[in-house]
Amino acid sequence: MKKIDVLLLALLIIFSIISLFPIYWIVITALKVNSEIFTTPPVFFPTKITLSNFYTPGERFGEVAQTAFGSFPWMINSAVVAVLSSLIGTFFIGAPAAYALTRYLKNVWLARTVLFMMMIPEAALVIPFYVMIMRMNLINTWWGLILVYLSFIAPLSTWLLMGFFSEIPRSVEEAASIDGLSAYKIFFRISLPMAMPGIIVSIIVNFINAWNEFLYALVLTYTPFPTGSQTVPLFLTDFIVIEKTFAWGGLAAAGVIVMIPSIIIGLYAQKYLVKGWTMGAVKE
Amino acid sequence: MNRRQATKIGLVFAAPLLIYFFVFFIYPIFLLFKYSFTNSYGAFSLNNFASMISDPILSYSLINTLYYYVGSVAIQFTGGFLAAIVLNSYSGRLKSVFRLILYVPLTVSPIVIALMWLIIFNPTYGPLDYILRSPINWFGSTALAMPTIIVANGWEYVPFVFLIIYAGLQAVPRQYYEAASIDGMNRWQMFRYITLPSIRPIMLIAFLLNSIGILQGFTLVYVLTNGGPGFSTYILSFYIYKVAFSYFNLHYASALSLLFIAIIGAFVYAVLKLTSVEKYLGLRRETEGGYG
Amino acid sequence: MMSEVVIENVTKKFGSVVALDHINLTIRPGEFFVLLGPSGSGKTTLLRIIAGLEDVTEGSIYINGKKVNDVPPKDRDVAMVFQNYALYPHFTVYDNIALPLKVRGLSKDSIAQRVKEIAVRLHIEDLLNKKPRQLSGGQQQRVALARALVRNPSIFLLDEPLSNLDAKLRVEARTFLKGLQRDLGVTTIYVTHDQSEAMALATRIAVLNKGVLKQVGDPYELYSRPGDIFTAGFIGSPAMNMIPGKIVKANGSWRFVASDFTLELNNMNFSSEREAIMGIRPEHIIISDDGIGCTISTVEPMGSVTYITVNVGGTSLTVQYTGLAKLEPNATIKIKFAMDKILFYDKGTGKLITE
Repeated sequence: MKKIDVLLLALLIIFSIISLFPIYWIVITALKVNSEIFTTPPVFFPTKITLSNFYTPGERFGEVAQTAFGSFPWMINSAVVAVLSSLIGTFFIGAPAAYALTRYLKNVWLARTVLFMMMIPEAALVIPFYVMIMRMNLINTWWGLILVYLSFIAPLSTWLLMGFFSEIPRSVEEAASIDGLSAYKIFFRISLPMAMPGIIVSIIVNFINAWNEFLYALVLTYTPFPTGSQTVPLFLTDFIVIEKTFAWGGLAAAGVIVMIPSIIIGLYAQKYLVKGWTMGAVKE
Repeated sequence: MNRRQATKIGLVFAAPLLIYFFVFFIYPIFLLFKYSFTNSYGAFSLNNFASMISDPILSYSLINTLYYYVGSVAIQFTGGFLAAIVLNSYSGRLKSVFRLILYVPLTVSPIVIALMWLIIFNPTYGPLDYILRSPINWFGSTALAMPTIIVANGWEYVPFVFLIIYAGLQAVPRQYYEAASIDGMNRWQMFRYITLPSIRPIMLIAFLLNSIGILQGFTLVYVLTNGGPGFSTYILSFYIYKVAFSYFNLHYASALSLLFIAIIGAFVYAVLKLTSVEKYLGLRRETEGGYG
Repeated sequence: MMSEVVIENVTKKFGSVVALDHINLTIRPGEFFVLLGPSGSGKTTLLRIIAGLEDVTEGSIYINGKKVNDVPPKDRDVAMVFQNYALYPHFTVYDNIALPLKVRGLSKDSIAQRVKEIAVRLHIEDLLNKKPRQLSGGQQQRVALARALVRNPSIFLLDEPLSNLDAKLRVEARTFLKGLQRDLGVTTIYVTHDQSEAMALATRIAVLNKGVLKQVGDPYELYSRPGDIFTAGFIGSPAMNMIPGKIVKANGSWRFVASDFTLELNNMNFSSEREAIMGIRPEHIIISDDGIGCTISTVEPMGSVTYITVNVGGTSLTVQYTGLAKLEPNATIKIKFAMDKILFYDKGTGKLITE
């Protein structure tokens, strides 16, 4: 028995190294001095640490380019869009729809439609969305992105919450009906509060998806806050394309800054995530 | 409460979703059809579809997409499955620590991941080539670019498959294993006769979700290789983008989008028909009504 | 206020499954009426129909003479206690009990007063600030009762409220419920599968099996003269003994012929010969010096009484013995039947032979 445990441990350590190495590398690159970044052989354990990469502008063929801390205007856009779309998607669209599909409209075709909505690739819808948003004059605005992000937030939150609503015992809702509450009041005062864990899962998962979303942001926005609604992923791509060969320190520093909030949120959310994805299939 | 009243209430609740569905799904698909069947002068035309047949880049993209999908699923599903099994079998105190560590890559933004791999894969200064002792230009080689993308993508999504399957493994009631060991089964037999059948639904769900996620892929290709070198990393989603926003041919791109939707629709349909995964997703009701 | 409930020809189908088949019942004001039956008998379905949570496929429900088929639960003035109590988990006990009053628009003060009253009556006044998950099963049950009763409903419905309690608590709660109902006088309809519970609590019992109403009567009636073989076997623990055989006429008098004994049925008259099942309760079989010889199979001493089983008539009979002698398995004894307590059931129809 002991031998197996040793083998398992070894495998786990290998997996862990694979998981963490890239993160480790980018963090140390952000902290390294230029001389240690652009050397062969590469330096695995830096001897000198500096924070200058975070605020020193990189070169851009002579112009002053972005710094890592310069990401804030993009962060503001990302935050607004992600928060609003995940909240609206979960509370106004997903929750009532999930409740309807669980209690009132138990139609398998409706459920399949929700699944279908989730599967359509972004690349396929980006063209009509572009045309529609342009016609609505919402290019480069928050609402332009929010409306489009709802295309994946609405079905996902519906799907996640369906599992949670189906776990609410019918008898509690029936008791409320006998106590005198109308169907709508039952939803708002009884069922929705009871589904709160699911709501949190939905908000977090959708927030992360909106934060990381790239294609729609690429097509529908072109300047950062305050003139436009470009989001964080676009800040980084600018960085990457421009500074690809020169300011790796700054590049890495930008990456670290963007990475930190998502890791923190992700770690906090992880126990909720799995519950949401496997709702129904796994009996806890 | 009769059926009609229930349906009415249900529709009121589902109204926001239904409205959104018609405005932002049905209408866009209608637009896709409209653009696909017209040319740039607004006249009805089947040219877009004709072009699809004779378009070499399209065939190349489709093959690449298949390559990308199969490679990604292979790595992600196998890796995630393996990791889940290993961690589940491990019985040390560091179990939750490892779970956290294995989960971390999922939290990182795809852009940042692209960045990371850019630095790591660099032939001159990156650590990878140093360890391998040969300066390979990963992103610049037509043969290697796609596998590199697949690996980079795998790094992020293996934890996704891992998490789901791990949760499924954890949910297998311990009594099954206890009864089995009393009956005299060894670890292999327990795995084959208890573990695998119990996690079948979870594996199906993981496979379906994983597949959908992979086929959505766009970011890595755009950032790391921009389709190159040559057309070796052109996948369908990227090609559509290129046609629409680099070549400005919205009509052809719309036709391609419809093709994309059709392919994914066929794929999901096949999966739903061939497996009983719908049952596990709670989509199919086996019995109707309550009793007694 | 006490209400009368009339169930007229009610049939309920779920798809092609018949859950209730032409049920006719009248529940009188102030009664403690029990719906008794095994699982799947339809008793809970009937209760839910009275509550308004399900509608009927055919038939009508009348409350105090008014037809309520299309009236929603909240307008029927019924209150219900569910098997799993169905307490609102995110509300405190106080809010749980207060909700029905809040919905009806009572003032904050009168709500507070009534909640307090009912909490005291049910001994839960210290729990008002707690949440349901902090309470024990027995406490949760009393909160469910409080929530139902705080409205002074005219019909009180209970769906197996005691089945989730442990045995000792169950008996205590049973006694408490009976006293409570007597004080309040509210028409109560109670569902259970436990016949001893039904016997202890009910004014009248309706026995159901597979959606069919078998018999309605007070506990004594059901116990001493069950009208069909199902009720006979269901009521009473240990169950009534059933011996198959034939009723025949010989030399002008009737006798019952079983596989290994014949019973002279003096003073009894039947319309015809037929196959029948003889029913006799364990306490009506006596061990005596003369009678049918048999061997003891098992002995179960219960303290005040002992149950022994013997093989007679092709089946295993349970005999109740209250004497002091120590009985052993494999001993031979002789048994006699109390002739005035024997019941015969027609083998084909299952009904009591009453001629």
